[in-house]
Amino acid sequence: MLGAIVASGLAMGAVYALVGIAYNVMFNASRAMSFTAGTVGMMGGVLGALFIGRFGLPVPLGLAATLAACGLFGVVTEIVAVRPVLKSLDQHLYVLSTLALALMATQFTAIEWSTEPQPFPRLLGGVGGVLDEKFWLPLAACAATIAGLEYLHHYTLVGRAFLAIAEDNYAARALGLPERNLRIAAFALASAIGGLAGFAAGELLLAYFANAQLLAFYGFVPVALGGIGNNRGTIVAGLLLGLLQQAANFIVGGVFASVAVFVVFAAVILIAPQGLLGGQRARRV
Amino acid sequence: MPISAPDTLLRVADLHAGYGKIGILHGVELTIGRGEIVALVGPNGAGKTTLLRGISGLIRAQAGAILFEGTDLRGLGPSHIVRRGLCHVIEGHRIFTQLSVHDNILLAGYGLPRSELAVRVEEALAVFPEIAERRHERGASLSGGQQQMLAVAQGLVRRPHLLMLDEPSAGLSPVLVDRVFEAAARLRQAGGSVLLVEQLIDKALPVADRVCAMVRGAMVLDRPTGSPGLSDEIAAAYFS
Amino acid sequence: MAALDEELPAVSGASSRGRTWRTAAPYLLLLAVALALPLFANDYWAVIASRAAVYWICVAGLNLAVGFGGQLAVGWLALLTIGAYAASILVGRAGMDPFLTFLPVAAIGVVGGALIGATALRLSLFYFAMLTLGFSTIVTQIALAWQSLTGGGIGLPGPAMPAPFNTPWGFYLFCLPLGALCVWMTLNVAASRFGRALLAIRDAEVAAEASGIRKPAVIVTVFAFAGLTATVSGQLFATLQSYITPDAFTFDLTVLLFVAILIGGRGSVLGPLLGTILLTLLPEVASPLVMWAPFLYAFLLLVIVLAVPGGIAELIDFKNRKPLKSGRLILPVPERLPALLDAARSDAAIGVSGLSVSFGAVRAVVDLDLTVPAGQVTGLIGPNGSGKTTTLNAISGYYVPAGGWVAVGGHRLAPGVSSSRAAAGIARTFQTPRLVGEASVIDNAMIGGSTAGRASFVETLLALPRHGREEAHLRARALAALDAVGLADLAEARCDRLQHSEQRFLEIARALMMRPRFLLLDEPAAGLAVGEILRLGALIKELRRLGVGVLLVEHHADLVLDVCDQVNVLNFGRLLAGGTPDAIRQSEEVRSAYLGA
Repeated sequence: MLGAIVASGLAMGAVYALVGIAYNVMFNASRAMSFTAGTVGMMGGVLGALFIGRFGLPVPLGLAATLAACGLFGVVTEIVAVRPVLKSLDQHLYVLSTLALALMATQFTAIEWSTEPQPFPRLLGGVGGVLDEKFWLPLAACAATIAGLEYLHHYTLVGRAFLAIAEDNYAARALGLPERNLRIAAFALASAIGGLAGFAAGELLLAYFANAQLLAFYGFVPVALGGIGNNRGTIVAGLLLGLLQQAANFIVGGVFASVAVFVVFAAVILIAPQGLLGGQRARRV
Repeated sequence: MPISAPDTLLRVADLHAGYGKIGILHGVELTIGRGEIVALVGPNGAGKTTLLRGISGLIRAQAGAILFEGTDLRGLGPSHIVRRGLCHVIEGHRIFTQLSVHDNILLAGYGLPRSELAVRVEEALAVFPEIAERRHERGASLSGGQQQMLAVAQGLVRRPHLLMLDEPSAGLSPVLVDRVFEAAARLRQAGGSVLLVEQLIDKALPVADRVCAMVRGAMVLDRPTGSPGLSDEIAAAYFS
Repeated sequence: MAALDEELPAVSGASSRGRTWRTAAPYLLLLAVALALPLFANDYWAVIASRAAVYWICVAGLNLAVGFGGQLAVGWLALLTIGAYAASILVGRAGMDPFLTFLPVAAIGVVGGALIGATALRLSLFYFAMLTLGFSTIVTQIALAWQSLTGGGIGLPGPAMPAPFNTPWGFYLFCLPLGALCVWMTLNVAASRFGRALLAIRDAEVAAEASGIRKPAVIVTVFAFAGLTATVSGQLFATLQSYITPDAFTFDLTVLLFVAILIGGRGSVLGPLLGTILLTLLPEVASPLVMWAPFLYAFLLLVIVLAVPGGIAELIDFKNRKPLKSGRLILPVPERLPALLDAARSDAAIGVSGLSVSFGAVRAVVDLDLTVPAGQVTGLIGPNGSGKTTTLNAISGYYVPAGGWVAVGGHRLAPGVSSSRAAAGIARTFQTPRLVGEASVIDNAMIGGSTAGRASFVETLLALPRHGREEAHLRARALAALDAVGLADLAEARCDRLQHSEQRFLEIARALMMRPRFLLLDEPAAGLAVGEILRLGALIKELRRLGVGVLLVEHHADLVLDVCDQVNVLNFGRLLAGGTPDAIRQSEEVRSAYLGA
């Protein structure tokens, strides 16, 4: 049983961490938290099932098409739901605009795809048990994303520009960085990461519209615990969250696993609103 | 709109700007010639920083004209304006503390051709050997004075035709202030112009060719630095 | 208060009655339609109309928290769900009388609402939105899992109402008065110190604290009320459904409740009422829309946020479409000031001793001593970043000093408790005006009178006499304060339509509502025209004559040198010099600090 807990815990944890990274990448580029992080997670599963399962595309092509579609959705998110309300960041209108867009995409999926969970195709086949692809694929996706982000931030100019905008948007603008284009790129990247999470977890979570709401919440928990914008904290918290949830799931049953996660989440954000691993607080006056 | 004289680099005419409903600039006039260092002084809240932001596109001007090398900059964003050779080093040496010194300068040249960029970064670092030594360290590890040098170095990467420095001396020791002003003087030798916002008038006067003073959102004084009784005139303008 | 009555003309009866009728007209129209409905519609419409009423009862309370208070309680459906299950269990399993059941159900709502409200105090908006959303999901999952109590996925019957409320129209006529009651009660709260406090917390939190508004009390109270209406509407919902399963409490319903408020418009009662009716009817008027209804809700939300942030309320706010008079002058009437301030003078001074404030490694203020005596104007000037505003903020209690203290008349003020300053007689204005843009000018001024209110939340809900008396007094005082600063003509205009300079004077009017002994002005002349600065100076001088101690942080040297008795010059967080304006003008030290000479 321990093997099953660890395998499924790490797998789910990796998914939550990836959705959390999607939140962070969008936040770092815009200072806005976007509910669409969960939506793209859902879309990764649904589009993967659509492209590979229904249209019969080969796996690499299906993956590429899924990520491209999610990235495009990220661009739409930035243009429709974030840019128009950025000026009034203090009013938190982005909470509402991104919630609205996330709901629209979710409802559209429910109507045009299915209101029931649909199967996600086997990608590679092979062994079952705790070493099955459905458990290690999310972990592999998580590792690939971390490696990709490290490369981006340390070896490319665009990646450094992302870091610059995250640290001091005003100074970055004064320096002449094309802030708008970079923000669009960040939203595309974040949404592709969320899509990758959903795709890799397709066999665990199935292609189901309601995953959007689930992932929006469970993906946010590691962000809250790890500190907004802090990817390392998010990954650690995400994996721990997955393990905690799956352990509770096996030991006391599904509902109480959700309750346990909720209680931990509520307790931590109430006791340490800035996250356990640090974040920043703005001056008010 | 009269056509600018050939040696005029920047001409700001009747500029109105502010933040939301708050009007800060009420018809500012300013001219800067090629190869000129102009010191802009004025009491707190006079609108010096706002003027710089208006020129560099960080805030949008409500009315007036900003002619730079003959074209009106109004409505352009900062990323377009820096490409035309007008760079703004903002107040408070806000460099990126999480990035290395080298990367900080690299970003200031965002959009330049890759081969050109490497040359420019070395060129900017050469102006300040003390930070060139620490090029691989994070911005956070620099002292305040070194961070200010880094900020000025960022402004030099694009070989600007006009460099605007907002209070580069704030919080710096006198020696470091001199280092920053030396860099401004070097840029002029290379044919560039500098607009220097300063509270330390006595520091700014020796390097500047001309002094402009702002009070309450308007230019009240414009004199060559050599003119007699300048200091008293400025003081009178402040406490009027 | 008696003396006040003589000096201030009461709001004239006729105009106040006219305003009341204009405000009431749309509600009376809706009520007439609702009452006439049984005469021409069939039973199906009875169910739809009851549903609208039930949803509204939940939305009504939530509107105060979300629309007025700006707290993004997205998952409020959780409390409706709890109310529905509690009522069904109490009536169905424990055999309680359905009418009596409302009492424990309401009590659960009050407790639950207050608890959730308490979490809102600690969390930022997005965190709070996520927490309520998560809570809502958890409640549904527990309902599904706790089969012995809730019947799990099979569900359980809702509480049946006895005759005559057991028919569709009978139940409708039970819900309708409750809905109307909610309209009336929330309107009462909206036009009270609680409603204004909520708006201030939403749009100008620091100003709310400076006005002595205690956010925790207000927020928890309002959330308790929102919890009450949610659980009561939950019981009605269970009766209306006649059988409840966890599936009945879908995510779509969460969205409906929340979106109705935002579509209706923040800070309005009529707007969310219309929003609720609209969203309930939307799927009914065109049946193909049923499936797409949640999508449409979300789409409407997006359109509202991007295009009409004021919602329906803004669309139907014809009064504020009329252009304001252009070329307005602010003409303060300093002679009105004596009536606004306490006649009894006191010689107590604000004493700042050894004050140090640090931000991380930066020492913004270092070991500062300062006195703000009553009946004098004390100036605080200095270069950028010299610590002037930081000093002001430490006096106002926004920062906890690293050392030293602030005292009034020898009594030390609690460090870092900004809402305690109003009670100590300290009022202030802000560098950037902190006002509620969507509220009227007079409502903004009345925010400053929050601490004068004694009527409790329940008295306010039910519009008991004390509440009415207090409101009338406050309104008259606010008009007098607006008159004193020269804004009386604009009293009913929306605040965000004012010019910047008018907003600055409005902040002074709001401060005057506190009957301050001390007034801290943070760059009051910034952005003012020359004539306005002169009139501001006259106002400050009259305040000094009346015994108010004024602390003036200002860049405009002319104003400072004109009105101050004593000028203190800060540099690098330390006191550089102090003295009369003339001495400061001559001081070489000051000149060098400013000019770097």
